[in-house]
Amino acid sequence: MRKRNRQAEADEAQIDLTPMLDVVFIMLIFFIVVATFLKEAGLDTNRPDSNQNPPETDATSIVVTITGDDQIWMENRRIDIRAVRANIARLLASDPEQGFSVKTEAGASNKTLAAVVDQAREAGINQVLWPSEKKQ
Amino acid sequence: MSRRGLSASGRAQEGGDQGDIDLTPMLDVVFIMLIFFIVASTFVKEPGVDLTKSAADTTAPCLQGTIIFAVDSMGKIHYNKEKIPLDHAYRLAEAAKSETPKARFVIQADQEAPTLVVSELYDVVKPLMEGTLCYSTDFRE
Repeated sequence: MRKRNRQAEADEAQIDLTPMLDVVFIMLIFFIVVATFLKEAGLDTNRPDSNQNPPETDATSIVVTITGDDQIWMENRRIDIRAVRANIARLLASDPEQGFSVKTEAGASNKTLAAVVDQAREAGINQVLWPSEKKQ
Repeated sequence: MSRRGLSASGRAQEGGDQGDIDLTPMLDVVFIMLIFFIVASTFVKEPGVDLTKSAADTTAPCLQGTIIFAVDSMGKIHYNKEKIPLDHAYRLAEAAKSETPKARFVIQADQEAPTLVVSELYDVVKPLMEGTLCYSTDFRE
C-alpha cells in the first residue's frame, strides 16, 4: 500500500525502509521471546580430585557424615539436623581456617544434604567439599 | 517520540511537506533493543522436569550456570527435556561445554532424589569443570 504511494510520488531518491523495518521487528520479537533470563540459584559445592584421597584423620577438618537412613553424624555422635549449624560454628570458632566436608552414604536423600550444606554455609564455611560416595 | 524526531531532525523538515513521519529515531531504538536481546539471550537447554528442590537460606545465584542437569525423585537424570543414562552425561556435558566454554554446571536435584545418583553424575562431569558445582536450591521463604 505504502509502497505504491511512494512509487506514485517517487521522484525523490528516498529508500523505502518499511521492509527492513518489518524484518527488524520480527527479529526483535523473536529474540524477546527466546531470551530466557535464567536465574539459577543454589549452593556452591566442590569435590576433591579423585586421585588424591582426602586424609581420613585430618584433625583440621570438619566432617559431617549423612548415613543411608538420613542420620547426621559428626564427631562420632548422631546429631539432630537443627544442631548442625551450632556444632559447626563451635568447631569453627576454635580454628576458623578449617575445611569442611560432607560425606554421603548410599541411600541418603538430597533434602538432608542440602540442609547440612546450607547450615554449614550459614555457620561461616566458605567452601563445602563433597567427596565421592564410596562404592560398597 | 517520532514526532519529536520530526521537529528535531533537519532532514525531516527539508522534505517535510508531505506529512511523512521520520522513522529514524524509532529505528535507532529498535536496533538498540534488538542488539540488547541478541546479546542477552543465552540459549539454555532446560532439563524440562518438574522438581521439588530443597530450600536453603544461603542460596546464592549461580553465575554463568547454564549447563543444567536434573535428577528427579526416581533418580533419573534429565537433560534438554530428555531422560538420559549416566553414560551419556559426559558426552552431552562435553558438547555443551565446547559450545559455551564459560558456562558452569548446575545440578538440580529433587529433594527425594538419592544423593548417590547426584554424586555419580558429579563424578562424571567433574573432569570438565573448572570451578565449583552449583547445587540448585530454592530460596527459603
